[in-house]
Amino acid sequence: MTKYSPLILLFLLVALAACSVAPSPQPAVAIDLTDLQPLPTPAAGETPLRVAIAAVISPKGTVESYALLLKYLGDRTGRPIELIQRRTYMEINDLIESGQVDLAFVCTSAYIAGKQDFDMELLAAPQVNGDTVYRSYLIVPADSPAKDMADLKGQVFAFTDPISFTGRAYPTSLVTALGVTPETFFSRIFFTYSHDEAIYAVANQLADGAGVDSLIYYFALNRDPELAQKLKVIHKSPPFGIPPVVVNPNLRPQIKAELQAILLEMARDPLGREALTAIGVEQFVIIDDFSYESVRSLMKGIALPELP
Amino acid sequence: MNAFSHSLSRRFWNTVSSVTVGVKILGLALGLVLLLGAGVTWQARNSLSFILQQQMEKEGVTSTRDLAARAVDPILLNDVVGLQKLLLETQENNPDVRYAFILDQHGQVLAHTFGAGFPIGLINANQARSDDHHHTLVLQTEAGLVWDTAVPVFGGRAGMARLGLSDASLRSAIQTLTVQMLLMVLLVSAVGILVAVFLTSILTRPLHELVTAAQVVAHGDFSPRVPRWADDEIGDLADAFNAMTAELAHIDEIRREREQLRRQLLEKVIATQEDERRRIARELHDSTSQNLTSLMVGLKNIENMCDQQQMRAPLQELRGVVSQTLDEVHEISVRLRPPVLDDLGLSDAIERLGREWQARYKIPVDILVHLGSERLPGEIETAIYRIVQESLTNIARYACAKSASVLLERRGSDVVAIVEDDGQGFDLAQKFNNRQMGLAGMRERAELLNGNLTIESRPGQGVSIHVQIPITEEEKITL
Repeated sequence: MTKYSPLILLFLLVALAACSVAPSPQPAVAIDLTDLQPLPTPAAGETPLRVAIAAVISPKGTVESYALLLKYLGDRTGRPIELIQRRTYMEINDLIESGQVDLAFVCTSAYIAGKQDFDMELLAAPQVNGDTVYRSYLIVPADSPAKDMADLKGQVFAFTDPISFTGRAYPTSLVTALGVTPETFFSRIFFTYSHDEAIYAVANQLADGAGVDSLIYYFALNRDPELAQKLKVIHKSPPFGIPPVVVNPNLRPQIKAELQAILLEMARDPLGREALTAIGVEQFVIIDDFSYESVRSLMKGIALPELP
Repeated sequence: MNAFSHSLSRRFWNTVSSVTVGVKILGLALGLVLLLGAGVTWQARNSLSFILQQQMEKEGVTSTRDLAARAVDPILLNDVVGLQKLLLETQENNPDVRYAFILDQHGQVLAHTFGAGFPIGLINANQARSDDHHHTLVLQTEAGLVWDTAVPVFGGRAGMARLGLSDASLRSAIQTLTVQMLLMVLLVSAVGILVAVFLTSILTRPLHELVTAAQVVAHGDFSPRVPRWADDEIGDLADAFNAMTAELAHIDEIRREREQLRRQLLEKVIATQEDERRRIARELHDSTSQNLTSLMVGLKNIENMCDQQQMRAPLQELRGVVSQTLDEVHEISVRLRPPVLDDLGLSDAIERLGREWQARYKIPVDILVHLGSERLPGEIETAIYRIVQESLTNIARYACAKSASVLLERRGSDVVAIVEDDGQGFDLAQKFNNRQMGLAGMRERAELLNGNLTIESRPGQGVSIHVQIPITEEEKITL
């Protein structure tokens, strides 16, 4: 037996080496993942001012552009600001109606619908280029041979939000004026849910055409000058009422007045001006419902089918 | 080196060197395989473990960053359902994902994969700054290690994504590798054993043959030759062995021849010596004694013829001298070659020798002869007589003994003679004296007849001489 003990020793050495634990990193913390507890409810702080911003541009873009304005509002009201975004205009409208939003930056068509459904209240409107209007631009790729909507027959078209005026309603009106519907006129249509996404789609030839908010168009070109090489505008609509700032109609009148005053006085404040520049606005002014009549009448003329 | 380790190393070497060649080769082969196997397995485990850990960390970063990118819009749009689906899909698509969760910018959990509750301490276990690309930390959990990666979502403005990857698959991969490698080691060990056994048989077969042949040669048989199994050192050994054996056979042949010649010469010398003695004894007896007797008779006659008184005395004196001379001549003759040896045989000759020796030297000697009536061959009788004669002479000359004994008997087919005395003895190791030469001569006589002679003595304890000669009728001296 002792004759073979060196061999046995050697085999033990092998087994030991083999079964040794491979070097592992030193863990910093020890946690037991099976010890589950209910999550603590966050402490209720002060009541925040709930501000909704419609999905005109992408959620990230909205956060970046409106950061200064929201901070300004927070400082002026002395309340924390809660930014609320949703994928569609209708979701924002629903939140305003149910009182879960205090202040909202909505699209024109969303105001029309909201006014009709629950008497959405105008608070103020941005002034751009000295006026409270904007247009719908029909954009195509820079090298496209199309000269107007008729040339886009059988092509791919991008809409923005289902109830967007400049992004859906107005382009649809151009198609219905030719006697057909977009579903039959174009080979394929899709929704981007934001104007800067629609611009991106056409610039990258994912779509052959789209209708976009003129303000957003200039804003996008400003931010990314290279886009000018990739796009061209082949049709500009007549001027329509600019997307307003609205309030929850059930908000206390004092708060409504306070908010309105802040908005109207922003341009006089250097910090306020900075915030306005960030969103491409000169100042906020008073607006009345009559400014949106032309939009209302155009939208009555066309029937927007439900989303599939 | 202290005594303990010294004895340990000695025992180790004893063990290692005392095993067979087969075991040595086996030990070498197995030892190498096992050593290599152990080393390679260990190294492979380490390398694989390190590589897989790197992979795990990278995977964590990639997966979490992907999760963070896809979580931006759902977080901003408050799409909690979409967020939950995103997390569950992430977990489904990657079995290494132990958990995933999203924190909002205030550090509150928006969605997670734990189901009913949430582990304490996990929220703050790992953090990333808003400008960090990622931050990975290794956590020790109840089920092994978890790589926890934190990635800020939208620069921290939307919140934080956290992903935990478990090392279970990593550990199982290493175990699989280890098992496979150990199996391979086992397999190669088995092959190694077979090879070692085969190699051993190749090496040891010629060695065994050599050992057997050498043992045969050691017993005096120089005929074995070993075939040259291989063209290596063992083959050279076989050739050398064969050459050596052939040379030994040659030398042995020569030795035998010389030995034969020497025996022949010795026998001739002894025979000649005995003949010479016999002749001289006879001449002394026949011629010289007769002459002396005639002389005595003549003197007697003169004495008888002479009347004068003064002539008688000198004549009687002369007669006395002649008588004494006659006696002495007779004694010389008997001592040279006792007639009784030829006429009556060894038994009577020894008895007479003993009596005469005792009478001459005044030392009592006990003679015991049991040979029976049959005579022994002449050469044997002569040899034994001369040996006993020489022994007794030595006792008289050197021993200063008080008594002696001579035993002569048959034992089996041999005749045995033992001469003992109680004298001063001598040192057997002492060399170069006349006594040694005399003893050598006695031994030669015995060995010429295929017998042997042994001497036992110690200073102060007498001497014992033991002669044993086989009796064979065929034993003939060739002249």
